[in-house]
Amino acid sequence: MRLLIAISSKEYSAATLKIGLEIARAFKACVTIACVSPKSSSFTRDQVRLAQESMERWNFDQPAISVLEWAFDYLKDYKFISPESCDAGFQKKLLVKRAGTRGEINLEGVFCKQVNLILRFGETIAELRDEVQKHSYDVTIIGGSQKRRMAHDLVQYIDSSILVVKQIDFNKLYRVLLAVDDSKGTKKAVDFGITIAKAYKLEVDVLTVSKRQRFGAGYRGASDQACKYLEEAGVKYQRHLKVGDPVETIVAMAGENHITIMGISSKNPIKKFFVGSKPVSVMGKSDSPILIVK
Amino acid sequence: MNFLRALLFWVTRSRWLIFAIIIGIILFALPTPQGLSIEAHHLIIIVIITLLLVITEPIPLPATALFIIVSMTYFGIDKPNEIAHAFMNDAVFFIMGSLMLAVAIVKQGWDVRIALGIIKLTGTKTRNVVIGFTVISALLSSFVGGHTVAALMLPIGMTLVRFTSRDVEKSRGLAAILLFSIAYGALVGSIGTPSGAGRNVIMLNYLNESGIGNISYAHWMLYVYPLVIILVPIVAVILLTSFSTSYVVLDSGIRKLKVQVARAGAITFRELGGLFIFFLVFLGWIFFSTRFGLGTIALTGVMLFIIFGLVKWDDINRNTHWGVIILFGATIVLGTYMRSTGAALWLANGLVNLLTSGVEPLGFLADIVIVTMTTAMANTLSGSATVAVLGPITLHMGDNLIHQGLLTAIASAFGFFTAVAAPVCAIIYSSGLVRAKDFFKAGWKVGLISMLILIIYANTYWRLWF
Repeated sequence: MRLLIAISSKEYSAATLKIGLEIARAFKACVTIACVSPKSSSFTRDQVRLAQESMERWNFDQPAISVLEWAFDYLKDYKFISPESCDAGFQKKLLVKRAGTRGEINLEGVFCKQVNLILRFGETIAELRDEVQKHSYDVTIIGGSQKRRMAHDLVQYIDSSILVVKQIDFNKLYRVLLAVDDSKGTKKAVDFGITIAKAYKLEVDVLTVSKRQRFGAGYRGASDQACKYLEEAGVKYQRHLKVGDPVETIVAMAGENHITIMGISSKNPIKKFFVGSKPVSVMGKSDSPILIVK
Repeated sequence: MNFLRALLFWVTRSRWLIFAIIIGIILFALPTPQGLSIEAHHLIIIVIITLLLVITEPIPLPATALFIIVSMTYFGIDKPNEIAHAFMNDAVFFIMGSLMLAVAIVKQGWDVRIALGIIKLTGTKTRNVVIGFTVISALLSSFVGGHTVAALMLPIGMTLVRFTSRDVEKSRGLAAILLFSIAYGALVGSIGTPSGAGRNVIMLNYLNESGIGNISYAHWMLYVYPLVIILVPIVAVILLTSFSTSYVVLDSGIRKLKVQVARAGAITFRELGGLFIFFLVFLGWIFFSTRFGLGTIALTGVMLFIIFGLVKWDDINRNTHWGVIILFGATIVLGTYMRSTGAALWLANGLVNLLTSGVEPLGFLADIVIVTMTTAMANTLSGSATVAVLGPITLHMGDNLIHQGLLTAIASAFGFFTAVAAPVCAIIYSSGLVRAKDFFKAGWKVGLISMLILIIYANTYWRLWF
């Protein structure tokens, strides 16, 4: 399994980094921690770079490099990287490249073969999309954004599962909320849900929401199937069949003590672009962590 | 499905390009307005599309520059050779030369010497340091350009901030005061001489092409420098009142700065050599710019820096965005043809009629329009591009070319409001110590007061001279 953890600052990305590393530890996954630095306007880019070179002579790093240095210290403190990598220190020279390129530091992991720190320059979604396309990640983990468009773009354009970490309390006991329906993505979401529930010994709520009073065979079948898999995996679960607006019902049930897991919508991309989709709406409205499985 | 997603991704990222194309097609389909030649009509459409592409940047700026050049040829604005001929002039040489000189100067390590000067001049009180930063940034940027000053001063400001307090939140006010005094001081200072910014040279070129003769370096300073002297203390006071800090003395920061200066040792022969070359360039600008052009003299300086091994070509090459130089060349071509096709005059008349309902405009009102329009555009575009495109129009908005020209060049420096328009603002923003909202917090006060003072200054002091 390959994880991409996108961080932006010490203030806002601590929870994202922590949960990402916890998942990586549980799954023995390879991890890449990425910081995307916004590109200056073309008019000012060279002058900004010249000023940054001047700052480097005075030992002041670019903000994005400081963020990755903080991530390095975090990896060191949590013994996520080998003593050799710790001793080698934070090799920032490997990151400082010309704007527009990708700087990378490769570290030897303790729980997996490799941990990478990368610095990219540009627009967040475009850079993450390019990173995922070129390096084939299974899950991208990112902090929450208030922008609805951002949620849509993450789900729509990044070719990996997306875990959005809005608020998380590491002292709280979370449950997994597995939202299942007859869409193609449900099967993969159930597999993911089971793996996470088993890894963290979490209980699962299997939720199926129908807009109509009568549950169709597809919906009921999906719920039955999910319960069967959970049963076989030995995961404790509760089954919920509810009537109402799917997005509102999922968000209400997720509350603040669930990690919501759901499959990607199988709607046509153009339809999703104009009318949206359930996962995007839930991601926009929910305050708890949400994983959209692709 | 994947193709559809890729297409949608391109569409969402290129929506402004698509919008610009649609606007262009609609405008081309409309009949040519009365009093406007077909060439001028087409040129105005190219200008509108260019502005949309430059402001929103859906495609790289060099591609926008190429769009300008090829579309002008395809739409028959002029013959290919004539367009190519208008592409390179002394203003483009100057922009190229000043970007290269910035690299050469920053590589000389003058920042440490400046730090020493600041320590000696200001002492440790925050208030005095802010005034010192604003004055020094303004003074230096008048001659070496704002972005060079920002690159030299930023590490000094950051040293004072970081070594006064490691707590980012606690030192936010201090960081804002110090870094804005660099940026705003440099912006204000850059209006003082023609070599302060590329936009000044672009305007000088337009004025010369308009047949009013050459305005010398000294004359520009005579007309504009008093305004710099008026604005500098005002900027410092606004900054000191807009941001609050609990650090009234900067003892530990200054101590660290002294350590840095001590480490650098005595001034070297190499540094003296660099200083001497720049002094020659400065003398050249003052005494020979009307004969040889500011751009040629700047490039001579760059040539000397390279010949004497004071800067490597690789450093210059790495830090010079050739695409932006091509874009400035292309926008100057646009401006030149705006004037020669009559598009600028038509737009200026239309604008004046719109604002005054056909009544002969008052000079004062025209000044307000020029300053407001130029400042607004400079805060979304770039100062030089604003002057290149807007200059030919504003020159027709009154009866005194020097008055309108200087007004436009000066107002284009007022990029106080946003973090992205002026290079100096982008530089201090890149430090991560100031936030985007801080620019507006102090920027609107500095901006509005500067605009008001400029208008009063232009209608009083300039009356003594032209």
